[in-house]
Amino acid sequence: MSAAQPTVPPATKPMAPAVGPGGQLPVLSPDVSFIEIEALRSQQFLPAAKEALSALVKEQAEGTLIRPLFNWAGRNSLFPLHWGLACCAIEFAAAFGARWDAERFGVVPRSSPRQCDLMIVNGTVTWKVAHKLVTLYEQMPEPKWVIAMGNCATGGGPFRTAYSVVPGVDKLVPVDVYIAGCPPRPEAMLDGILRLEELIRERGA
Amino acid sequence: MDADEVRAKLTGAGAPGILSVDPFPGVAARVRFSPDSAAPLFPIVRDALGFPHLSTVGGIDWVERYEVFYLLWSDTAKTYLLLSADLDAKAPHIETASSTWPSANWHEREAWELVGIGFDHHPDLRHLLMPDGYDFHPLQRAFKLHEPEELEVKVRHV
Repeated sequence: MSAAQPTVPPATKPMAPAVGPGGQLPVLSPDVSFIEIEALRSQQFLPAAKEALSALVKEQAEGTLIRPLFNWAGRNSLFPLHWGLACCAIEFAAAFGARWDAERFGVVPRSSPRQCDLMIVNGTVTWKVAHKLVTLYEQMPEPKWVIAMGNCATGGGPFRTAYSVVPGVDKLVPVDVYIAGCPPRPEAMLDGILRLEELIRERGA
Repeated sequence: MDADEVRAKLTGAGAPGILSVDPFPGVAARVRFSPDSAAPLFPIVRDALGFPHLSTVGGIDWVERYEVFYLLWSDTAKTYLLLSADLDAKAPHIETASSTWPSANWHEREAWELVGIGFDHHPDLRHLLMPDGYDFHPLQRAFKLHEPEELEVKVRHV
């Protein structure tokens, strides 16, 4: 007899159970694949996403959807202008490094003011650079916000009475959040950004 | 190179308007000269004494007079030389050195805008560190620092 042998499908590894006994996530063994880990994560993410979506549906029913949607999207993706004026720019740069990693808040520095909605004035503003700062601010599209980082940008700092220094950047552009420090640590800058997010949540864009 | 050698070389080259040649700490000599003879003196110092490099130009407000000084470096003698001239307190001005040493251009712009010393025949005497339209010379003794509240804020929009 030469009957054809039935084709045996290749052995596949069964998927790990998504939720273990007792509703707890199972302890993953080292051979669990990356895709399986992502599947488990999405199981955690889905309830939160459902909750957020139902809130949006509720706002749509009330006719107030679009503005909160833009606020939510805008405050979670603040793009600051990538520039530096003085030593605060070193702390600004450190906040985007590996240790503080400001990108986890959606904060990504952009090199063009056309792509930015946040200006972090990180350093001493002199009269020579004042009109260039105003030009950059005017080139940013609405809605836009300004953070005065450090004592110099807040009120002139130690150079308050100097002949060449603007005593506070709020003489030039409207400032939303002031961060004290000389210079402020990266934690303080991140705290300022989170407070700006709270401000946008309360006040709207 | 010391003060006697500098004096001998200047005399040998027929340098005009030399008032005194004295020893001075850190440099070969301090040469004080009359500001009227600046234009013929600068090429003699560069060529006959051998100081082709101008390090800095500065100005000082001594209230009763102004002083302008030039710090020169010689690559062959490995030493500095200080030139200085006293200027009138009413309208301090002197001939530019930028036709002899091109590096004097920006130094003289700085000395003009901060101390208020005029440099005649300067090719491009405009503001360097302060914005255009800044009407003060802040390193003059008569300049008063002000509180920011007194400051009238003017921003030039582009």
